[in-house]
Amino acid sequence: MSAPRRYGRWLALIRAGFLGVVFVFVVFPLVWLALASLKTRAAALEVPPALVFTPSFEAYEKIFASGLVGAFANSLTIALTNVALSLAIGLPAAYALARMRGAVQQNLSFWVLSIRLAPLFSIILPLYVLFKALGLLDTRIAVAMAHLTLTLPLAVWLLMTYFRAMPVDLDEAAMLDGAKRWQTLLLVIVPISRPMIASVAVIVFIFSWNEFLLAFFLTARDAQTVPVVVAGLAGTMSFDWPLIAAISIGSMVPALIFVGFAQRHIVEGLASGAVK
Amino acid sequence: MALSWRFWFLAPMVMALATVVLFPTVYLFWMSTQHWLVTDPQRFFVGTDNFQRLLAGADFWQALRVTAAYLVLSTVIMLGLGLGMALTFARAGRGWMRAIVVMPLVIPPVVAGFTWRFLLNGEIGFLGAWLLPAIGLELNPLAEPRAALVSVVIADVWSRTPFMFLILLAALQSIPRDFYEAARMDGANPFHEFFFITLPLLKGALFVAILFRIVDAINTFELIYVMTRGGPGRATQILSIFGWRTAFQELDFGQAAALGVVLLFICLAGAMLLFRRFVQRDLEAGA
Amino acid sequence: MKASTRLLTAAAFAIALPTAASAQTEINIVAFAPGFAWADMFGPSGTDKTDKLRAFEEATGITVNIEFADEETARQKVLLDLVNQTGTYDLVMLGSDGAVQTFSYAGYLEPLDDLLSTATEYFDPEAVYPQFLEANRVDGKLWALPYYSFGAGVIYRKDIFERYGIAEFPETTEALAGALDTIKAGLEKDGITDVYPLTMRGAPGEEPSLDLSGFVYAYAGYPAWFEGGATTPEEIRANDARPIFTGEFREGFEAFVEWSREYGPPGIATHTWVDMMNLYGAGQAVVLMPSAINGFAALGGTENTDVAEHTAFAPSPAGPSGLPVQSFWTFSVGVSAFSDNKEAAYKTLAFLTGEQAMQGFAETIGWPYSTFPAITRGEVLGEKWPAEMLDQIEASYEQADPHYFPYIPELNAFMERIGTAASEAISGSKTVDEALAELQAWAEERMERAGYYE
Repeated sequence: MSAPRRYGRWLALIRAGFLGVVFVFVVFPLVWLALASLKTRAAALEVPPALVFTPSFEAYEKIFASGLVGAFANSLTIALTNVALSLAIGLPAAYALARMRGAVQQNLSFWVLSIRLAPLFSIILPLYVLFKALGLLDTRIAVAMAHLTLTLPLAVWLLMTYFRAMPVDLDEAAMLDGAKRWQTLLLVIVPISRPMIASVAVIVFIFSWNEFLLAFFLTARDAQTVPVVVAGLAGTMSFDWPLIAAISIGSMVPALIFVGFAQRHIVEGLASGAVK
Repeated sequence: MALSWRFWFLAPMVMALATVVLFPTVYLFWMSTQHWLVTDPQRFFVGTDNFQRLLAGADFWQALRVTAAYLVLSTVIMLGLGLGMALTFARAGRGWMRAIVVMPLVIPPVVAGFTWRFLLNGEIGFLGAWLLPAIGLELNPLAEPRAALVSVVIADVWSRTPFMFLILLAALQSIPRDFYEAARMDGANPFHEFFFITLPLLKGALFVAILFRIVDAINTFELIYVMTRGGPGRATQILSIFGWRTAFQELDFGQAAALGVVLLFICLAGAMLLFRRFVQRDLEAGA
Repeated sequence: MKASTRLLTAAAFAIALPTAASAQTEINIVAFAPGFAWADMFGPSGTDKTDKLRAFEEATGITVNIEFADEETARQKVLLDLVNQTGTYDLVMLGSDGAVQTFSYAGYLEPLDDLLSTATEYFDPEAVYPQFLEANRVDGKLWALPYYSFGAGVIYRKDIFERYGIAEFPETTEALAGALDTIKAGLEKDGITDVYPLTMRGAPGEEPSLDLSGFVYAYAGYPAWFEGGATTPEEIRANDARPIFTGEFREGFEAFVEWSREYGPPGIATHTWVDMMNLYGAGQAVVLMPSAINGFAALGGTENTDVAEHTAFAPSPAGPSGLPVQSFWTFSVGVSAFSDNKEAAYKTLAFLTGEQAMQGFAETIGWPYSTFPAITRGEVLGEKWPAEMLDQIEASYEQADPHYFPYIPELNAFMERIGTAASEAISGSKTVDEALAELQAWAEERMERAGYYE
């Protein structure tokens, strides 16, 4: 029993050191961004940066004064719509795939996964043509639908592997009681999979929230999202770094609330079988 | 006979993906066979011309090399870091620390790009203009070709490791404790445990993590664009930026589509390989 | 599934339905730089309509909607809109360094010559510097009206020049190189490592190409892209003019690269105009050229007192050919050929680029550049800037040849390639000759494919 202990001390040391490095690497840019958002334009570009200064909330006031709040509303609507679509379409599909066997199942699940491989830059023009034909350019629903290319395969794949790990007895018991398949899914499977569904929802939300390229091309004035607005601000004649920093910090808030709300579920849900 | 319930469960997904993915892909294939220059009012069928020109040009191979270097470098670092973090966090709870290290996940890559661009800027950046020279490293992180590639990798690692970390952490936590206890009884040390228990059981998670990483890397655009615009020169011009330039700057839609098709096949081949290796056997075993 | 489809459709309609139709004609514009472009119309954030704009809307029955994006990406949106003939935008941001040429040849724009007489109360073509209109004339027709526009010039730190014994700003590129050497040596001797003699831009893509074309023009004495200085498709076809990037183009290209490497900041190979501006504004650059406009942008935002007090303007130096280094550009706006309301669109365009609008630009932004002589000579700018400088700026328009690079449909692609070649040479990943050989090979192939030499 002495061997583990001997290694244990060294391991603890390595772990602590590693954690320290990771922590600095992750946190430093965040702190720097937060500080920049509280500075004036010239002060934000100083080298070395001042650590002690009088904070200015000018940048944050600008967000509220200038209607940028609308972009937050757009981002939120798009991400939530996308989550709803991904789950509504992905849950039954994942369940069906999980309960299938053989070549069809394999080919179909590989097809779903490989869908994500289409390089984004090359489907921009076709998607633009498509949504133009549907009359949906510059609408939030168009962006939410376009984001399905990224999120639906992800959701289906994660849910499918999770459902596969669930004992079939549950389904069979429900069916014996006379439940239809959709009833089994909604009343038996979904309730006990809540942590997993929550974690998939969070991941889908984040992907949609962060996405830039599709959101940029499919929106004009009415449906711009936060990343699109941030990119637009960089092109103004007065490079307003504090404003960009403030919006960036602001853009974390809704996502953080959503993630914080489901933080525990993410790991638990994924851990309960999805990625085994 | 009524259609099987499976049909109705799968139909919405197939329809949704067919609309947003299949249609664009078919359109892409059609585009790749066209002489389609925005500067030229005529558009006509040219067969494989676009592909031949693409593969004959130095730009494509250069971008492929950059992409490969970027992909391998960032994936290896991310895997190492993500796995290390997952192992560190697997046992102890450390709730608040975990919450903090996943924060970059909620920062849009376009913002991550700006942040790192300003940190690494060689004239006014805290790291590039102040810290690096202070420790005796006299190089410009964004304008020296090799350093620029490392810089975008660092920013990407910062932005994307948390996702990999979460997937691996989840997988680690789902490994039953008894496995380790049994091994310890047999006198295994932590390294044995890692190589003979942890790693084999992480296979499925690693597949998902690596596959999504590859897709992510291939589609990385805004992060690199705001940091270096693919430069200096073409030093950080990965295929997605090359494709963007071909389509939207050089206005050669046909050739850009050809690049899209080639890229799609490369990714498919890679995914098929990974799929065979990591997943298929598991799926069959479940049957 | 049926239910979900129905729900989806309903949701789509609910979100997609435009606001209730009104009697007003709607004109949509896409542009860049909110709070800078038309700050007198759309407010400092680009989202609040001012009384001035509302008065126009009431008088004409036109509702003006603007969408701002960043410069390069706004261009891509214009491109997608035009290529797909969507007609979302009635007025599109163009720019005289590629978009006007490409889109006019492609038939995506409405020629304005016949419309010019329809809204003279807003825009009087006779009252504008002719060079700015000329810059937007392709194949004999006018395709866009200029908004904020500029000529070449130099912004520099008089105090640093004087500290190193240079009293007058040099008038030739050769003398300027000498002065930059002196300053570089002086800065080194004084142990100043974070101030660079020169700031320009060298990021890949079209970023450096405008200024670089200006160097090529000053060194060769003509737009040395094609044999014989051909600048139009007709001339190229008629004379079978081949690209000469490895020929007379080389001298100006090499000078641009050498200056960037010798005198520029270490990061110049990925610098855009934003970096150029930030560096000058932070007091870290002595000379900014030849797009002096970026220096004025820096002055507007700087909190550095040395920069604010000791900045001076000088005319762009003359190259070996005797012609000055160019950097002449117009932010211009055109009418989409797919607009449903071309006359209303033109009226709006005339209003947005007319004397009133430029007066508003002078009042809100105050840069010494204007498209109207009456405003350059007017009270607002006259009070703000020295008369000598305004004379020099006016001279920079008059000396400019707006066609100092070829006006061909492929201009966008060429600008893109030239800039990337420069970035490669500046960063040292290729030599000047390697970069130019590659550019030449690409250009020949591109021109062949476009059918110029058949």
